Amino acid sequence: MNKPYMGKILMVDLSAKTITEEKIPDNVYKQYLSGMGLGAYILYNRIPAGADPLGPDNILGFCSGFLTGTSSFFSGRWTLVGKSPLTGGWGDANCGGTFSPAIKHCGYDAIFFKGISDKPLYLYVKNGKAELKSAEGIWGLDAIEAEEKLEKMYGPKAHAAVIGTSGEKVSLISGVCTDSGRIAARSGLGAVMGVKKLKAVVVEGVQRIGAYDQAEMKRLTKQSEKWVKFPMPLSLLPGIGMALMGTFLRLTTIMFAQDGLLYKTILRKWGTGGMNQMSIEMGDSPLKNWDGSNRDFPLKKSSKINPDIIINTEIVKYHCHSCPLGCGGICATKGKYAHTHKPEYESILALGGLCMNEDLDSIFYMNEILNRAGMDTISAGATVAFAIECYEKGILTKKDTDGLELKWGNTEDAVALIKKMIAREGIGDILADGSKVAARKIGKGAEACTVHAGGQEPAMHDGRNDPGFNVHYSVEPTPGRHTIGAHLYYEMFQLWKRVKGLPSPNLLFFKNSKYKINEEKAKASAACSKFMSMANGAGMCMFGVFIGIKRVPTFDWLNASTGWNMTPNEYMTIGERIQTIKQAFNVKHGIEPKNNFISARAQGNPPQKEGANKGRFVDVEKLAADYWKEFGWDSATGKPSEETLQKLGII
Amino acid sequence: MSYTITEKCNGCGACVRICPADAITGEKKKIHAIDVALCIECGACGRVCPQSSLLDEKGAPCAMIKRSEWPKPEITVKTCVACGICIDTCPVGCLAMSEHPRSKGVDPFPCLKDAKACIGCGFCCAECPMDAIVMSKPVKEKK
Repeated sequence: MNKPYMGKILMVDLSAKTITEEKIPDNVYKQYLSGMGLGAYILYNRIPAGADPLGPDNILGFCSGFLTGTSSFFSGRWTLVGKSPLTGGWGDANCGGTFSPAIKHCGYDAIFFKGISDKPLYLYVKNGKAELKSAEGIWGLDAIEAEEKLEKMYGPKAHAAVIGTSGEKVSLISGVCTDSGRIAARSGLGAVMGVKKLKAVVVEGVQRIGAYDQAEMKRLTKQSEKWVKFPMPLSLLPGIGMALMGTFLRLTTIMFAQDGLLYKTILRKWGTGGMNQMSIEMGDSPLKNWDGSNRDFPLKKSSKINPDIIINTEIVKYHCHSCPLGCGGICATKGKYAHTHKPEYESILALGGLCMNEDLDSIFYMNEILNRAGMDTISAGATVAFAIECYEKGILTKKDTDGLELKWGNTEDAVALIKKMIAREGIGDILADGSKVAARKIGKGAEACTVHAGGQEPAMHDGRNDPGFNVHYSVEPTPGRHTIGAHLYYEMFQLWKRVKGLPSPNLLFFKNSKYKINEEKAKASAACSKFMSMANGAGMCMFGVFIGIKRVPTFDWLNASTGWNMTPNEYMTIGERIQTIKQAFNVKHGIEPKNNFISARAQGNPPQKEGANKGRFVDVEKLAADYWKEFGWDSATGKPSEETLQKLGII
Repeated sequence: MSYTITEKCNGCGACVRICPADAITGEKKKIHAIDVALCIECGACGRVCPQSSLLDEKGAPCAMIKRSEWPKPEITVKTCVACGICIDTCPVGCLAMSEHPRSKGVDPFPCLKDAKACIGCGFCCAECPMDAIVMSKPVKEKK
């Protein structure tokens, strides 16, 4: 009991109904950690090239974080991995809550599923004993109902990850839910679970999770807690103050390198929603399907989604496992459901500003029904925005939409459309697989109204404001993701304070310099990818590591828990290996990395005529080439060479 | 390491019923055995065995203790940061996060929701990174 990992995985074959326990050699953990790293290692080696994501050869994995269950903070994230039916390549989704430690308490670091069952099943694991059970009676229930039923059956130690009705209906933008409203939403992996006819994974266990040096773990954790609680005057600002700060950031020509202590203060007070108005004002949040600007959604409109209004409904904060910050919340709502998880920034802006919807009650409602259906709020919101643009341009007519008037700001019909997408009814059936698939089915030039990267709708952060987002949306093996890197993230991670050879940003700089392409930018982007891949292996929360690498000591926790005594640069190499194996996974499955670039509109082609991002164009092609070069991949194609794969020990 | 059962065992099954790890097996009235791979050293079997037939992980004999005298966690809410590590590490699920905030602030706090289920293992206390939990013998309320 002196190591943080269990050293075993479960492999479940749903076709043959067999369950096999496998030991994983220690050196695999030293190369990949667990979480996303272990998932990538297993999937790269075991999914045959060209396998159908919705076929029996695809493997779906539930992977707990390497540091999960130790006395470290911010380490309660688990990663869902699989070949994505949405992008056709590497797919992963990350989620907090309490499921990550529960997997490990069963004695496993991860549980993988292959094959397809002929009838609905769920897996129940208790203290190392696993069995497949009939899902009769829970198939057809929404995610929260199903979870409540299972946890009632098995008691307070049981934790369930379930799909909602969208996963059952194989919607390509569905995810996997836990804890009554947390969701591993991206990459469409809920559809993979649905097609496998696996309704739920229920884990219940008591196995202990160790550490090499428990006293040092606690010492490091206590030290980091001081930074989490570090008092900042920002917390005294009202929500509107944040909006005005956004206005200032839009107008100023001189910027300052941002410190994560500012962001943690926002998260602590309001949660991610604290950024709502600020983001719109500064040009970070896309509006009107990426075609509008802050001028279309001025302060008067955005004040209706002011974060103060949201936290007025908050009853109590919600903390994921091992989180001292508590950015989540449980809110009281009007109408059918008494309680709901506080909507996140991404959901509010995707269902709000992106669709020009300013009705907060409708956002709460849509967020809750999407969580229950297990559909990704980012992709769902973006797909509604796409449909509205098609309608406004005459590509879709009232006849196509079953009578819905899809106009900017028509809240009632946007809600009705979300309901149709969940039920896969009429136009909703076409839209339930995301905007790219829908555009192909609709035809008539609808493709021009989509904004996606490799098939996945990007999150509510505009790469025309922070070009780092456009780099990561375009070059990541999981395209369209906002949880890996950006210029802002690089500033907050403060990796240069521990990792040798990384550039430190200037404290003050001209805003224009953000948009200049140089080698330093590529170094920073590559460092973000390596670090977050490693952090996703460790199970670390991105909001935690935003506080800064010296203050939230991920590398030191890893050393204290294992006794490996590795340097930060060696841990960054683990990240590089994980990132490279994911890219190699894509190449193996026939993905051309260049085809994953974000749509021209989001690159600023043509540039916007007004607003915060007026006139900006981000040359993704050039940025991507520099990024690939930084990894030692082919700078023209983005493919890792055999030599690189050998050097990292992947092949 | 693991707890072990000595020949004193009379097979009453009290340990089987309390073991949260499903680590103990044996026929009634016959000597029971502990699966080393499953034992989590919570010590509940040692505290419950009327025959004092258990040895702890260091080989020391365990004495039976009246259940009402088993130590229980006491949580200092002021030091607690609501990270929930104690709740997830509890092998019997007797701790839970409150559904309402503490008197000062907005965070919830962990509480001993099911005191009867607590087996006094002290894992919550050992894992709490803030050292906000102490295990103490319950004081009998004066009538």
